[in-house]
Amino acid sequence: MLVQGDDESTREGGQKAVSRMITQDNVDMLVGGFSSAVVSAHQSIVAEHNVPYIITGASTPVITRRTDVNTSYMFHHAPTTDDSGSQTTLFIDNVIRPAINAKFGYPQDRPLKLAVLYQDSPYGKGHLEAIKNTIANNSLKINLVSQETFKMGESDFRTALTSIKSSDPDVVYVAAFLNEQIPIETQAMRDVDLKKIFIAIEPNDDPDFYKGVGKYGEYSIIQSRFSPYTVPKGPTEAAYKKFVTDFDKKFGGFPGMMGVATYEGVYIGAKAVENAGTANKTAVKEAIANLQMPQIVEAMQGQAISFSKDFRESKFDLTMEQLVWDPTVNETRPKIVSPANLKESDFVLPDWYVPAKA
Amino acid sequence: MDIGLDIFLQVMVWGLYAGCIYILLATGLNLIFGVMKVVNFAHGQLLMIGAYVTFSFFVLTGFNPYVLLAASIPILIVIGVSIERLCFRPILGTGKLNEIFISIGLIYILENVAAMIWSDEWKVIQSPFEAITVTIGSMKIPVDYLIIIVTTVVILVGLYLFLKKSRLGLAVRATSQNRKAAMLVGINVERMDMLSFGIGAGLAGAAGTLWVVSGQVFNPYMGSVPAVKAFAIVIIGGLGSIPGAIIGGLILGIAENFTVFTIGGAWKDAVAFLILIIVLIIKPTGLFGEEAE
Repeated sequence: MLVQGDDESTREGGQKAVSRMITQDNVDMLVGGFSSAVVSAHQSIVAEHNVPYIITGASTPVITRRTDVNTSYMFHHAPTTDDSGSQTTLFIDNVIRPAINAKFGYPQDRPLKLAVLYQDSPYGKGHLEAIKNTIANNSLKINLVSQETFKMGESDFRTALTSIKSSDPDVVYVAAFLNEQIPIETQAMRDVDLKKIFIAIEPNDDPDFYKGVGKYGEYSIIQSRFSPYTVPKGPTEAAYKKFVTDFDKKFGGFPGMMGVATYEGVYIGAKAVENAGTANKTAVKEAIANLQMPQIVEAMQGQAISFSKDFRESKFDLTMEQLVWDPTVNETRPKIVSPANLKESDFVLPDWYVPAKA
Repeated sequence: MDIGLDIFLQVMVWGLYAGCIYILLATGLNLIFGVMKVVNFAHGQLLMIGAYVTFSFFVLTGFNPYVLLAASIPILIVIGVSIERLCFRPILGTGKLNEIFISIGLIYILENVAAMIWSDEWKVIQSPFEAITVTIGSMKIPVDYLIIIVTTVVILVGLYLFLKKSRLGLAVRATSQNRKAAMLVGINVERMDMLSFGIGAGLAGAAGTLWVVSGQVFNPYMGSVPAVKAFAIVIIGGLGSIPGAIIGGLILGIAENFTVFTIGGAWKDAVAFLILIIVLIIKPTGLFGEEAE
């Protein structure tokens, strides 16, 4: 039986909903949880009652790595900021940096100047940490020239972008939600004349992003795990298309990455109960921990869903897309530019792009 | 940090733009407080409705969104008058707690009504002048921000002329200065309440339109943060003082943006209250506030 709880996108709302579902509805398992801050606030309630929890929304790795709460019943089925930040930083080093150096006649080993604009939250800070760690651990030729932050829900980024412009970066990496990413890219191009390549992170790959950012998003990069407008070729392609079509028929519209992750979370839970042969919470927790099941809709590393032994995280195959103007719909549409095996087109530096001074 | 003149001026422009939105919001709030002595916590939600009115007319008619000030201001005046008549007038004088809870209740009602009508998705529209910039020195300023600043000045001059030069404005000022004396000389103070609430709401509507024109995103829950800033400005400038709201709005807009530039965006909201604390320590009645009777 499905019991629903609305966290109202607030810490308090999440605590109320989780408390009610555990103590009044006596649920055997929890699936969902959006926002690292909201999930962090109700984890102690889940830990107290030892309810298996498949977290499909929060992105900070801290969720299953924190030591102040017993997280052994919690499983993370969403790309973490570590995974996401690391892959994006490597893409910048492997693809964007050589493209800039080649186009503008810079030495091949010229370091790329990176600016980071991040939300002042576990999500944003997680990305910043991942970027720094990836640069340090891989000795990448990337210099962080600016680190600007903003409060969650901010809508005026002009001054932060002016500050970034004054640091003269090659690329601007943005760790923001949809309602922030749209004004950031719009204000950067329109108001601040910041002619750089902007990078958006996977929660933004949503029809509203393409609609909101309009032509200002052209040539920007978006990291994706589940795109509304491009389907990665490969073993998940058919399931991907079927899920999107079925969802649209039943509910209308595009499911979004939260929709697909939670859908998968339910199947993961069901498989674990089947494997355990009981709804006993401890047995189900063990079954999830030892789970090995084929990927469902989203492309997973090794084409299978399993959780790491250390921090109980599943690992996704993420794609990097570049937005290209489509006059037939009067919006941009994504083209996969990485990884190589899924690539639809090469990364392009637009004519208006202005690199940092050498 | 090394701030060149261009960067300094650029940040100043963003500060002036933010100040314009704050001024319109805080001036309306102050006008309402000055006349009625009512603190309307739902004032930010009137800005939000102004934004949606502009959005709706823009989508339906395709008119230039600046022209839609002619729609948002009157519609918000009507909404403001209705709120005054239906919500505040019945409880006026029955205690501050009633006023506070009515206005807090209005926040939720207006937000939910807006979500019901327009959904809670984020919306954004672009100005028809989005591609036009004005070059000043080596700095390019989008013309929209200059229009917004000029529009705010025009609205404030209009308000000033109304309050200073018209009989109705004189009556509003008289009610604000001494309600009982105003009644004794035959001024219909309830009509002044209605008028001031309507004008205050209209100014919030204008702020909503300018918010939308500048390409800012909005949803039904976007009003609370600007409202909190407007309250801070009202206290910084002095309760009931319109010049105080104007100067306070400019100070806050500019201070916030220089804070973002120098210390970082995480401090943006805190600076309003830092200024507020400093002003209250130095001058407890606010910059332009007068001692209570």
